[in-house]
This record gives sequence, structure tokens and C-alpha cells, in this order.
Amino acid sequence: MRVQKFRSIEEMNKAPVRESQEPPFERFLRQCARYWEIAPKRYPRGVFKFRTIEEAQKAREKYPLLNK
Amino acid sequence: MDRDEIIRVLQAFEAAGLEYVLIGAAAMGFHGLVRATEDLDLFIRATPENIERLRSALRQAYDDDPQVDEISSADLLGEYPAVRYFPPTGDLYFDVLTRLGEVASFETVDTEIKEVQGTKVRIATPLALYRMKKGTVREKDHVDAAALKERFDLKDET
Repeated sequence: MRVQKFRSIEEMNKAPVRESQEPPFERFLRQCARYWEIAPKRYPRGVFKFRTIEEAQKAREKYPLLNK
Repeated sequence: MDRDEIIRVLQAFEAAGLEYVLIGAAAMGFHGLVRATEDLDLFIRATPENIERLRSALRQAYDDDPQVDEISSADLLGEYPAVRYFPPTGDLYFDVLTRLGEVASFETVDTEIKEVQGTKVRIATPLALYRMKKGTVREKDHVDAAALKERFDLKDET
């Protein structure tokens, strides 16, 4: 069933979502590849070290998008 | 993030005998909660021998990239429990952790084994991921925690 119709958002939210037959990790890899196509970033090279996970997470914000 | 590259790295981890557990979005993906990410997060057992296995696996996967040698036991066992490695391919990175504050480490995370293309992969259980994610400050982690809780009917511990 390619098209479903709903009378309300509530009805739409209750509709069952079709489960993919593809293994979930394969879907994950595909999703990551698609994300990279949409928003590629310019990463530095090499090894960086952090005292805390918060420090590591903050560093992520500094990686610029390639097309900016 | 290239599929074959990830499979190659997971195979190299297994071949090197690396003691690790996948956490983060990749582990969520194995559990069927799929969202994109830029990195692979893993806990490793914090011993010099295991850190050498990590270097060996990454050298194997990335054509003897000399920068792998900058991953040091002194750092990971000392005051830098988080190390980020950007491989030459340039479209993903690895966050390698020996501990997550007081919340978790390789030894304290409950794990299960999954398989991808004949390679065994050790991943954190949904409950272990939930415990790690619910206490952080990142909005994304709260969304993940909520999704894990709903999908696996997890209960908060008192």
C-alpha cells in the first residue's frame, strides 16, 4: 500500500508503520551514507584527546560543513 | 560513512582480538533504532595490551596510517579517557573511550553479541545504552534514551 489517507493527525499517528525487512545495521549504514551526502563535513586528521566526554562533544561543534 | 569501510574495521577489530563494545548510534542501529551519525563510539578494555590491539586493528584497516601511533596507553589509561581518531578516508571518526566519568566503562556495560557479514560485534544492550544516555546533557541523548525506553519497555531504576 503506497498511499494511505487519514482524516486527522491522530489517526495518522496511530497507523502502523511498515517494518523494513532489511537488517537494522544495514539501514543504519545506509542512513549514515545519506546523511554524509546531504551534509558532508571537513574533519581534521589524526588523533585528538579529551579529559571528559563533554569536552569531546564540544569539539564536534567545530567541524565545519564542506559546502559552507 | 562507507559501508565497506565500517565492515572492514569491525573485521579488523575481531581479527586483532580487541576487547571492545559498541555504544552510541551504531549500537542503537543494531537494536533497530536507526539514526545517522558521524562517528563510531566504543568502549575498550583499559589495558596497554588491548590498546595495542586497537592500534593494530586500525593500522590494518587504514593502510598503516602512521597517525594511529598517536593513540597512546598513557593517555587512555591516564587523564585522557576519550580519544578521537580521524582516519584518512575523511568521512567518519572514532571516539574511543576507556571510561565515561563514573557512569560506565568496558567492564560495567552489559553487552550482547550481534553478527554482521560473519563478523561478531559486541554491542551495549538497550538497557545499558539507556543508562548511559539518560544522564547526559545532550538533547540528542535524551531523544535516544526516550526511544530506547519506549521500544524496549525499559523501566527507570530507583
